[in-house]
Amino acid sequence: MAREILTLKGESDGTSTSGDFPLYSDLLYHDSAPYTPPTKVLIPYGMKAKIWAKRIAAEAETLFQIYWSKDATVTSPTWELLDSQKLASKGELALEKRRPTVIRSLTGKEGFKASWSQPTASKAYIELEAEITDEE
Amino acid sequence: MDGVVDELGLVQENAFLSVFIPATSKAFVFRVKSRVNRGFESFHYGPLPLPATLPLPSYVGGTILVPANGVMPATAYTDTGLSFPLSGAFDETDMWYVPKEWGDRLFHVKTQVTPGWLRVDLQIPKGVSQRRFQREKVSLGLEKLFGYSRGSAEAIHFPNIHYGYRFGNDSNLSVYTGVDFTYGEYVVEIPKDSELIFNILTRRAPSYWLTMPISVYDASIKRAFTETYGIEGFTVYPVTKRSEAISEYNTLLKEVKV
Repeated sequence: MAREILTLKGESDGTSTSGDFPLYSDLLYHDSAPYTPPTKVLIPYGMKAKIWAKRIAAEAETLFQIYWSKDATVTSPTWELLDSQKLASKGELALEKRRPTVIRSLTGKEGFKASWSQPTASKAYIELEAEITDEE
Repeated sequence: MDGVVDELGLVQENAFLSVFIPATSKAFVFRVKSRVNRGFESFHYGPLPLPATLPLPSYVGGTILVPANGVMPATAYTDTGLSFPLSGAFDETDMWYVPKEWGDRLFHVKTQVTPGWLRVDLQIPKGVSQRRFQREKVSLGLEKLFGYSRGSAEAIHFPNIHYGYRFGNDSNLSVYTGVDFTYGEYVVEIPKDSELIFNILTRRAPSYWLTMPISVYDASIKRAFTETYGIEGFTVYPVTKRSEAISEYNTLLKEVKV
């Protein structure tokens, strides 16, 4: 059985009212062009992504959303909303899950991303504990 | 497995190890006389030996250059198997290789790679893919839909053969890598009692069984076996063919070098 837990951290640019979080982790390489931080995670063929925890923070009202796509490999994937949390004002929230959010890779093309949306642009932060595994 | 393997899954001293070769339907039986690295079986090797600028094929077509030492680019895989260099080793380009003259040494190697989703398969010898489906009908491996494991591999490293470890990253994430080995450096002998060998290979005597991913019997494997051990292994007989087996084993034992 294979498994890896990634702590994925994202930070909004503070100037856009919406966008996809660029994702950073100790395992992710993005030191030189064209290797920029990914804004989506493509789940390896036959495996699952399990999101066990989500920690969010923002300087102002922010909607945090997790999307998944059946085909995240195309240039403009069709994203479907999977999970949503809103901070009504400046603050932070830590959500630990006994049962994770699960996204299955049935074709090797499935993926997920995390996005922010705000009425007024400000800094927003997200941290995901995402496990990539072939276990049930 | 009581008494045969320890909590690491390595064979205990004075226990038996059976290594089955599917391509020949034969097996080697070894008695582990000692494990010379008892107490220090874990080795964090470090990043995969992927040098920067090494071109790798991609699952989506084309070629990708390794961006930095030890980094596995997104959607890339190693076409030719990797060896693990180690300064001072008998062959400094391949730490698990020993010559045929070291036939009493056997490495039992459990490899764990980070991140754990990386695909892994083994070439034995290096450059020869061993994964097949429906005889020779379909070649398998980490560049195909199946015929690989993820994150780990277990192998017995026979002397006189260079193995190639292949890795594949079918995610969109370019990743730093790490390799952890849990290994036993065994001093072994082939038991000289044909009755005992028969009992082990009919699973009536306890032994740790490991089936090697050798479905293609490359000439170099045959040569390595005969030059190192004097034999190509013991035919695995059903329990009903005891006398035939004992007779064959007695003949083979006259040729055994280890």
